[in-house]
Amino acid sequence: MTTGLWYVIGFAFAGATFVLITIIASWLLSHRSRGDRHKGMPYESGIDTYGYTWGRTGLSFYIYALLFVAFDIEVVFIYLWAIVFRDVLLGGFLAMLLFVVILLIGLGYAWRKGVLTWK
Amino acid sequence: MSVITRPWNRLSLAGKIILPLFLLLVLLTVLLIAGWQIGVIPGLIEIVADLVRSNIDIFRFIGTATVTLLITIPVAFVIIYMEMKVIAFLASRIGPNRIGPWGTLSSVFHGFKVLAKEDFTPTGADAAVFTMAPIITYLSSVLTLLVIPFAPGLVGLDMNIGLLYFFAVSGLTVVGLLTAGWSSFNKYSLIGGLRAAAQIVSYELPLLLAPVGIIMLAGTLSLNQIVIKQAGWFWDWYVFQQPLAFIVFFIAATAEGNRTPFDLTEADSEIVAGFATEYSGMRFGFFFFAEYVNVFILSALTVVLFFGGWNSPINAQEVLNFLHIGSLTPNLDISTLGIWLLWILVFGVPIILLLIALPLWLLKSSWSFVKSLIVAFVLFNVLAVAAFMVWAFLSFEVVVGLIWFLAKVFTFVFIFVWMRGTLPRVRIDQLMGFAWKWLVEIALLNVFITAGAILLLQELNR
Repeated sequence: MTTGLWYVIGFAFAGATFVLITIIASWLLSHRSRGDRHKGMPYESGIDTYGYTWGRTGLSFYIYALLFVAFDIEVVFIYLWAIVFRDVLLGGFLAMLLFVVILLIGLGYAWRKGVLTWK
Repeated sequence: MSVITRPWNRLSLAGKIILPLFLLLVLLTVLLIAGWQIGVIPGLIEIVADLVRSNIDIFRFIGTATVTLLITIPVAFVIIYMEMKVIAFLASRIGPNRIGPWGTLSSVFHGFKVLAKEDFTPTGADAAVFTMAPIITYLSSVLTLLVIPFAPGLVGLDMNIGLLYFFAVSGLTVVGLLTAGWSSFNKYSLIGGLRAAAQIVSYELPLLLAPVGIIMLAGTLSLNQIVIKQAGWFWDWYVFQQPLAFIVFFIAATAEGNRTPFDLTEADSEIVAGFATEYSGMRFGFFFFAEYVNVFILSALTVVLFFGGWNSPINAQEVLNFLHIGSLTPNLDISTLGIWLLWILVFGVPIILLLIALPLWLLKSSWSFVKSLIVAFVLFNVLAVAAFMVWAFLSFEVVVGLIWFLAKVFTFVFIFVWMRGTLPRVRIDQLMGFAWKWLVEIALLNVFITAGAILLLQELNR
């Protein structure tokens, strides 16, 4: 098992090195110029940037993220349940059905509250 | 001095390249023979073999990492070429046709072009995060290649939690795109990054829930085992037992890969280029590199889960048994040929060359003999490679598996490109609503249908 972990870590390291080396090689190959003030400005369709970009942003779909967390935990359980399903059979089936139905009631509540419709 | 320089200057560019190479080759040959005679080279081989044997794990890792990282480059080039050519044909255009035969090399030159472009960081951007974002995006797609079984025995790491690992790592794409959007200091980038987060997070759920039925049928999370369970005829593939799951999975995979009709994150008619607006040069290149690798990986996962991975659609063993043939493998033992092998190699090749060249020369009166010889040489090489491939296909399970796997994967890549050439982009609220109102429910329904069916079969068999 630890071999697998070292594989993943080592592979991530190798991949990051590959990307960095390519970016550095491209940086050395290509021409660069600082340019004037306008070159560094964000491209917003030719208009000078207005307001502060890293300020507060309105998001219509932040509740999706909350729903996602709930359902993602469910996925972790359902995966484990699926592997051993042939051992638990009817009892496991009913237990998981109950669990999913409770979650779906939660989703239905969010749906009724208008979370899933665009405002 | 001019005795040496004058003939050198008369050479053409090709001659200037070939002559040193030829001299180097002669020198190497002489050194090799001398080294072999003295006994230096066998000793060196023994030392290297000892080193490899004692550190087999490290060398296996280095091999896996190198192959897996480098295989992404040709894969991306092929997909970019397909994207240009297939969409051109869908739009009744010719497409790239300048560089290489049928424009096949144009995607490679695109790559070199991006490498040589200026890589600019905007003044307002957070430079460190700005550089980190393409690295994370690329890593999250390339790390998943580690668990995909390409052929029997040809898998980077046969993890027992392969599927879970796959989804865990590919979920990191969100981090990459969100940091890219945020660090650019551009409102379009920010909107693109936030859209990416919302979209990928929402479609993660159907993508995760669709294979649950397959996990129940296979009883394992290891991708290698899932493929082995689908061996046999093509109706043993899980797509025929889980059609609903396949539809959900494929739609969710399209959204996960940010492909049209779900490419809201870089919708060029709405938000310039989304998260990639401020990127240029190689850092921009890596986002698209990652996207094409993602297309390949999602196709590969679809094939592994639903279309039998490296299994051929025909059960060759049963067909052979039906026809009363023992085995197709040619019984070729080179060692019995002995000295004749040398004679075949020395005289066989020129004889076959002449056999191809003479009819060409006689039929095409305008060709000189040298030209027909060159054409014959090219033809001979093509034929030899084809014969070698056929022999390898018949003899090695790995080659058969790899060819079937790649054929299936590139069929799905073609479908992804086809969709991009055909379908219009959906609206963002439709996109988000579709995942939560339809796909999640259908995927859960599929899970319980599968579970019910397994229960029922268990009861009937008792």
